Parts: sequence; C-alpha cells; structure tokens
Amino acid sequence: MNEALLTLGFALVTASILALSAVAFTLQYAVTNVANVSHGEILTVGAYAAYLVHQRTGSAVAAAIGAALAGGFAALAMHSAVIGPFIRFGATPTIIFIATLGMSFVIQNTLVIFFGAANVAYTLDPGAPMHLGPFLLTPLDLQIIASAIAITFVLYLIISRTKFGKALRAVSQNRELARVTGINATRVAAATFFLAGLIAGYAGFILAESVGSFNPYFGFSFFLITLTAAVAGGLGKAFGTMIGAVLVGIILEFAGGYISASYNLAFAFALLAIVILVRPRGLFTNARRTVFE
Amino acid sequence: MSAYLVSVLTEGAIFGIMALGLNVIWGWSGDFDLAYYGYIAVGAYMTLVLTIGPAVAPAQYILGLTLPYPLAVVIAVLCSMAVSLVVGSIALRHLRGIYFSIVTLGAVYVMYVLAGQYVPLFDGYNGLSGLFDPMGDWFGLDYQSYQYFLMGLCLVLFVLVFLFMWRISGSRFGMALRTLREDERAAAAFGRDIYRLKLKGYVLGAGVGGFAGALFVAYLSAFNPSAWSPVEIIVLYAAVLVGGRGNIWGVALGVFIMGLIVQESTRFLPEVPGHPQIVLALRGVIIGLVLVLFLRFRPQGLLPERRYVDAQPKLEPDARPV
Repeated sequence: MNEALLTLGFALVTASILALSAVAFTLQYAVTNVANVSHGEILTVGAYAAYLVHQRTGSAVAAAIGAALAGGFAALAMHSAVIGPFIRFGATPTIIFIATLGMSFVIQNTLVIFFGAANVAYTLDPGAPMHLGPFLLTPLDLQIIASAIAITFVLYLIISRTKFGKALRAVSQNRELARVTGINATRVAAATFFLAGLIAGYAGFILAESVGSFNPYFGFSFFLITLTAAVAGGLGKAFGTMIGAVLVGIILEFAGGYISASYNLAFAFALLAIVILVRPRGLFTNARRTVFE
Repeated sequence: MSAYLVSVLTEGAIFGIMALGLNVIWGWSGDFDLAYYGYIAVGAYMTLVLTIGPAVAPAQYILGLTLPYPLAVVIAVLCSMAVSLVVGSIALRHLRGIYFSIVTLGAVYVMYVLAGQYVPLFDGYNGLSGLFDPMGDWFGLDYQSYQYFLMGLCLVLFVLVFLFMWRISGSRFGMALRTLREDERAAAAFGRDIYRLKLKGYVLGAGVGGFAGALFVAYLSAFNPSAWSPVEIIVLYAAVLVGGRGNIWGVALGVFIMGLIVQESTRFLPEVPGHPQIVLALRGVIIGLVLVLFLRFRPQGLLPERRYVDAQPKLEPDARPV
C-alpha cells in the first residue's frame, strides 16, 4: 500500500508534464482540426533553448522563460509556414498530418546538424526528497507539479474569461461560422499556436529536467504518449485532455513500476488502441465539441 | 561496373519493391499506414531466424532453423501477412483518416519495442546476423560474383513485382480499391464489402513489404533495431508521393528520384570532422522538405495517376438513346 502511494506520487510528476504537453497539443487541434505530429519537436526545441539559456545565465527561471518563448515561436512558425497555408489550400486533415510528420523529421534532423545526436545531460539540483503526507517528493518535483497547476489555472482563465478565449472557443466549434461573425480565424489560430507553444516549450524544459537528459528525438517519443493522453481525453477538448493526461500518467507509472519501464511506449499505445476502438471520441464525450465543457 | 553502382542498383530494386507494396495501401486503398515498416522488419527478422541456425549463447532468439533461403522467404512473407492481418482487422474495421494512422503508428511502436526489448524474440538491440550469401554456394559463387548475382536477382524480382502490380492496377480488384479511396460510401452502395476489400489490399501490400524485407537481409546479412526505425517510412512515402501516388510507373520514377536525391544530394559535402551524423541528418532534412513541398504544390506527383472518367458523363436519364 505504502509503495503504491509512493508510485502515485511519482505518477503525479509524470502526469503534470503530460498534462501540459497534451493540453498544448489539443489546443492546436481545437483551432485547426489538425493533429500536429511535430508537436513533440516543440518540446525538444524548448529543452535545447532551456539548456542554452541556462548555460549562459545560470538561472533556472531564465531557462524556463527561454524554453517557453522558443516553443512559442517554433509553434507560431509551424502554423504560419506549414499548417496555415495547407488549410487555406484546402488540404484534408490526413494530408496535413503527413506534412507535419515530414516537418517533425526535418526539425529532428536540423537539431542533429546543429547539436549532434548524442544525449545532452541536463540536471538541476532536485533538493533533498521529503515526505509530504504519504508521498516522497523532491522540491523540484513539487515545483513541477505546482507550476503545472498554475499554468492550467491561467489557461483556464484565458479561455473562459478573455475575449481571445471566446474567439478561440468560437473557432474551435465552427471555423466558418466564427469567420462570418467577423473573427479572424487565421489570426486566432496563430495566437493559439503561440500560446500552445509557450506551454509545450515549458513542458519540454521540465521534462528534460525530470528525465535528466535529452536528444533531438526525445520530444517525439514523448509525443507518442501525449497523443495517447489527448485522444483518451478527447481531441480538441482541453479539460478532458487534462483528465486523460492524469489517468495515462498514473497508468504508465504503475505499469512501469510493476512490470518494466522499457515497455512504457508499448503500454501507452495498447491503451491508445483500446480507447480509439472503444470510445473513439474520447472517454468523456457528449454531443457538443467545445474546448471547455 | 563499379561496386558502388552494384550496391545502388540492388538497394534501389529492394526499395522499389517496398514502395510498390506501400502503393497498394496508400496509393490505391488510400490509407496512410505507419505500420508498414513493421511488416518489412517482420519479413527481415523471420528470414534470419529461419536460416541462420540455432542461437549461440549469449545470443538468444526464436526458432534458429537452417531452412533453404527461398523457403524461408516464403514463410517470412506469410508471417508479415499474418501480422498485418491482425493489425488491419483491428485498425481498418471502423477507423479512417488520422485515427487509422495513429493506431498503425501505435502498432509499429509496439513491434519496435518488442523487437528491441524482448530479448528472447530476436535478441533485442543486438539483433541478428549471419546470413551470408544465401544461395551463393548452390551456384558456386565467390563473394565478388555473388554481388552481381544478388543485384540481378533483385532487379528481376522488382520487374516481376512490377508486372504483378501492373496486372492488379487494371484489374477489377485494383479498380475497386481505388473507389474506396475516392468514395467509400459510393462503393458500399454498389455492394462492395469495404472492410474485406480494404483488408485484402492491406495484407497484400504488407506481404510485398515482407518480401522486400526478406531480400533486404540477403543484402545486409544482418538486421537489428538500429537498422530500422518506424519514422524511416517517410522516405518510402516521399518516393511514392514524388512519383505519383497510385500510378506504378510513377512509383518506379519516384524511387529512382528519391534514390538519386538520397545518394547524390550529399555527395559533394565535405566531411565534417567529429560530426559523423551530419550527412545522414542533411539527407533527412532534404527528404522531409521534399515530402512537404510536394504535398503542398504537387500532391498528384510527377506522373499522376490516370483519372477514370465515365464514358458518357453528360447524359441525362431521359436523353439516353433507346
């Protein structure tokens, strides 16, 4: 029992990172109806940016901001250079899916050209682990969990309370109808990508920190787990995705803890296949398709 | 003929067979299948475990037989088809579009993780090796002449697969597959069993992929998880797309062009000391960009598929000649 609670504590760390990554992915899906396969590379770019900034300044806060900004601009570039033009050209979601897969290949290899394919060690001092109720967590773990909750709360406020959030919801429900009412759907989508990129870049930073190293392919393998969480929660639905991420994070951590961590990816996908086959529109669906239901 | 040309032609022929198999699934049936490289790998692994003999400790793998190479190829192809039948019957029943792609991506990663992590299967990350010059001693070939023999064999087999695909392309089966790509509901309205038809196309394509994998190990003589990665399927998709999706002449052209790009684009690049991956990475960037640019500006490819049009498209029901 005690061991199970300890595992649950670690699972909360995984789930926090996963929740940020998955919510960023699902926001992109919400405004464009496109599954952006190069989402994982935004995390990778965030991790590299954090590493470089940290080397220069020696400050973890600056590294986090650098990661978020790099992720934001990478996502914005992805939208304005690839996804936006494809949408205007009238390509089907599958074609854009393939194009983003191609871009993910391009970004991975570009990173290899500049930084090499080797693992980069990147660790912050996690501090002494301490008992917190039944959990055993380091201050770093607590910071990760707290920052994920804070970001989620801010995101909730943005989506539910601001004018931009209203436009985002409108575009995600019906792009054409939103345009008719005078919303610039392309600009809203670009802004949403920037916002999602900020979150994903930061997620890349905390993922690198909690894993302890990264390489040009590290975002892609995490993307595969992100995809599971996002599909389980319902593509395009931020709130469902959060819950999906927590569930997937907990299941993976327990499966990894009790069976073997090397099969994590296989577990995630077995889970994904089951969800898609049984509840293809996510675990928490009703008829409406909104960002926050 | 230089050794370089021999290896390029052999690889090109094998790559061409892979692309022709992929064309059945993506070009005709219209499904973006990410598990395809998994079927190539199954063909490659199975050929090895059926021919290289029992495992010597510390290596471990299943079977370890010493069957003659052609028989092993046949069994390996059947294994690829069996695996694709399982994946296809799950993924094709209700799923289309990106959901199909995501599930097949999942399937190939499950295969990849199993091959890499579950050591008793194919010796994990060490992989398998030891298939030297299959069929070479039947004809008493030395190492040098065997390379020519293998090149000839691969080219002949490529032509045979091409002719086979040519027959299928014009057959009722090939036409029916294309109708699924264009409009599944219309095909169903005409009484086609969509699921069975798609599954047939899928298993056929995977079988051709497995066959190419079996040839590939005759050329490589070894196979391990670092020899294949699920994302490398992008190169094959780029070839099919550039040439012309659905048109087998286009696919052949696409393989030629991508082969040229992959081989020659980085030929004049100076070696960067201490950075061995730079040439491979640059190729990756070029392949990805070619894929994206073609999708955007010429999605039908260089040699587009001939569109089949109704012979009398404008005829109104009451204007029909009696």
